[in-house]
Amino acid sequence: MAAPDDPHLIQIETHFQKMARRSGGISRQQALENAQVAIDSIKLGFGDWLDGEIQSLTAAITTGKSAAVGSIDWAESAVAHARQIRDVGTTMGYDLATFIAGNLCEICESIIAGAPPRIDLIDCHIGALALAKQPQYRHLRPDQVPELSTGLRRIVDVAGGSDEPGK
Amino acid sequence: MSAATINIRGLVFLVGDANPYFSRIVVSLLRSFGANSILEVRNSFEAIQLLNNQKIDILLCDDRLPPHGGLQVSYAVRRKRDNENRTIPILIMAGEARESLIKIARDAGSSMVMAKPVSASGLYDRLAWIAFNLRQFVETPTYYGPDRRFKNEGYRGGAGRRITDKQPADEIATPGETQNNTGLPSDPVLIG
Repeated sequence: MAAPDDPHLIQIETHFQKMARRSGGISRQQALENAQVAIDSIKLGFGDWLDGEIQSLTAAITTGKSAAVGSIDWAESAVAHARQIRDVGTTMGYDLATFIAGNLCEICESIIAGAPPRIDLIDCHIGALALAKQPQYRHLRPDQVPELSTGLRRIVDVAGGSDEPGK
Repeated sequence: MSAATINIRGLVFLVGDANPYFSRIVVSLLRSFGANSILEVRNSFEAIQLLNNQKIDILLCDDRLPPHGGLQVSYAVRRKRDNENRTIPILIMAGEARESLIKIARDAGSSMVMAKPVSASGLYDRLAWIAFNLRQFVETPTYYGPDRRFKNEGYRGGAGRRITDKQPADEIATPGETQNNTGLPSDPVLIG
């Protein structure tokens, strides 16, 4: 006899599953072709959106420069904007910007967790982000600019207090 | 992953993400796949309110959806016995799909974790996987959600803990699945 705490197993077929298995859907290949058209359309406005996010990031960092010791509001604001860039950059074809935004997330999260705020290290990344949105850089991957990407990773290690920079 | 065709026309999608640009991408992808009923929310209050008051067929939710986070939304949906959306598939989208997050998401009753950025092929394949792979649900005093051990390759020590557990047929040469390695497509090794 089963004890009251024994797991109770339930067979479930959800409405989503029933409906999604119907015939007449869009094939994977067609769906991906449709998606490419849709993404290409969204890409047209991405540069302007990225400019706005970089401005918001810069504003948060400016606040951080004059913030009281121990204040992290500015870092929380900065990391929110960095995450937004990181989460969509690759889909929009901006791999390098995504990589740099990911670094910024790590730096800001380490500050929020208690690491000393090194604004100069953040400024390096803001500058790199501005570079990464330029036409000649925007479609490059981090491995195509190893000097830049390795250097920025070393900065992240320093910001996080790692004993082994670059690793 | 499955390359089967899915028909999502008429299904109600709820997309929860504070980032309007990311949300726009997800909505565009879903429309490209045939979806024609997509709701968007920017915070967990709106998400829970909608999930309590309207029939939703699938939830795609950011793990950081403010202020509570997507995992709390998942937990809230699964916990409420009289919620008609209690068993819907829940796909958590995470900027940092670390193993620790995946474990917490799984224990909050999420069906799957998907790493951001989202690609069209990745999203289509995960929706197809959810559609074609039925998972039984488990109810315990502390958990309600999809069976966290659905990829059954045998049991630790050779015997399952549930009465209904059966040793899988055929050869099982290695220790079986544990609750820490569920075989979910969201496991880091499978995210790709």
